[in-house]
Amino acid sequence: MSEKKTAAVSIDGLTKVFRGALARESVVAVKELSLEVAPGEVYGLIGPNGSGKSTTMKVLLGLIRPSAGRTAIFGVDSTRVESRRQVGFLPENPYFYRHLTGRETLQFYGRLCGVGRGALRARIDELLELVELGHAARRPLRGYSKGMLQRIGLAQALVQEPRLVVLDEPTAGVDPAGSRKIRDLILELKQRGIAVVLSSHLLEQVQEVCDRVGIIFNGSMVQEGRLEDLISIENQTEIILKNASADLLERIRDLAEGADAEFVKMGQPRTTLESLFLRETEGREE
Amino acid sequence: MSSREADRKPRVKPGGTVATRRGIGASAGRIGTLAGTTFLQLLRMKTFYFLLIFSILVVVASTFNVLHHTGEQHLKLLKDVALGAMSLFTSLFAIVATALLIPSDLEDRTLQTILAKPVPRYDYILGKLCGVILVVAVSVVVMDLIFGAVLYAREEMMVAAELAGATESGGFAEEDLAVLEERLRSQGLNWNLQNAVAAIFLKSCVICAVTMLVSTIASTSLFTIIVGFVIFFIGHLQSVARDYWMHALDAGLWKRLFSGLVALIFPDFQIFNVVDGVVAGEVIPLGAMTRMAGLTILYVMVYSMVAYLVFADREL
Repeated sequence: MSEKKTAAVSIDGLTKVFRGALARESVVAVKELSLEVAPGEVYGLIGPNGSGKSTTMKVLLGLIRPSAGRTAIFGVDSTRVESRRQVGFLPENPYFYRHLTGRETLQFYGRLCGVGRGALRARIDELLELVELGHAARRPLRGYSKGMLQRIGLAQALVQEPRLVVLDEPTAGVDPAGSRKIRDLILELKQRGIAVVLSSHLLEQVQEVCDRVGIIFNGSMVQEGRLEDLISIENQTEIILKNASADLLERIRDLAEGADAEFVKMGQPRTTLESLFLRETEGREE
Repeated sequence: MSSREADRKPRVKPGGTVATRRGIGASAGRIGTLAGTTFLQLLRMKTFYFLLIFSILVVVASTFNVLHHTGEQHLKLLKDVALGAMSLFTSLFAIVATALLIPSDLEDRTLQTILAKPVPRYDYILGKLCGVILVVAVSVVVMDLIFGAVLYAREEMMVAAELAGATESGGFAEEDLAVLEERLRSQGLNWNLQNAVAAIFLKSCVICAVTMLVSTIASTSLFTIIVGFVIFFIGHLQSVARDYWMHALDAGLWKRLFSGLVALIFPDFQIFNVVDGVVAGEVIPLGAMTRMAGLTILYVMVYSMVAYLVFADREL
């Protein structure tokens, strides 16, 4: 199989059962889950708490073993250490070594990946610029805000220039401005051709960045596909006009009704609360 | 199949071809990086504060001579207190510092970000172990320097004072003064003391390894510390269990089985117990030190290997 055709992520019939200790019952966290993520694709894994998203990610990263099925990263079985060469991971609420500075943290993870000293120095500068943390590079992480920790976490995930990034709730507990920055970074990764597997409760954010989504419930995949296919309402059409007069709007309504189409709704579109918040706060940050 | 097994066996692709195996072996660079960060972590946690307590203790022990000991007795007491404190502090420090490492990485999920990188679990275990042993080594060197400096200073003061006293009182020939000085100096700073310090360090290496093994099973630092202390105490009685197992042939099956199990599982800390002998002036032969070092390496290797085997299958 050629390199180009190899899926970034391949999960085939994954089942994970957590055996209960002593008399406790076993818990089936994931049931026969299958999915594929193409190179360069942004895939959103969504579902309620306890649905099996994090377990799936952990199996993919070799942190826990599958009870059945197989997971692979760029064709390399996840149970093998070398599968982690091509992947960067940002866990939910990451706590890195708080005694290290931002730069030291990236050095630490870069060296673990075997990045050479010279290349690592340049890479760290590049990443600090990417996540906009150059000003805090020499500060210990214990002084970082939640959003800054998420961003340094994202930088460590990218330190060895992986072709796949796995993000587990990357915006959990982050304020809207920080959340927006992380969303922009994901879009930047997409532009660079890096595949992303993203788990998030913020469905609006998933909608903004993902090419495809999978909805997981009680450990099983209940819906999967391209985002626009899943959320578009096939028999409805949206027209957005600017500076339309009342007369024009009335004529459009008459035309629609005269042509056997049902006129559903007309009104002014609304901005999102996030956009309003960002508009009102971003200019005042300085 | 565990990840350990998966690394060992070539995997067969669904199509039937054997996947090219490009395994990841232990890397000195990765182990060094983990060891360096562990060293820095313990350093920045201000764990070296106990050295201050040690310094105060040694200085106090060297200053007060409430029982009006002779110079020789005073130096002996100073060595006894300092080496005893060094042994106790190093052992306690080895248990507590090691117990803090893996459970805290597990608790705050730092472990997930480390093992999500191409880091084999044996590299992680070895890196952590090397880091904590490095911290212990630095602590022992610092304590040794403090102890050596204080002992040397007291030795010089005692020699000067006792020789001056003897000269003033008269009746001492040159040879008598030389004998007096030699007797005092035999209780002062000498290379044989370094054998005791080396034994303390080697013992702490075994403590680190065995505590590391416990921490791969435990989920909290507190549990690791408690079990570490229990092992520490049992380790001092291991030789009793071993003798019972080997010689009490007429004892009941269960008693022999239990004593055999204790002898097999726990390290024998009595082999490092040379401090009393050194304080008493006993010279530790090189052969004994070499045997001690060999046993330490064996213990550390065995406990590290078991720690890896436990940790390799641990779900994070």
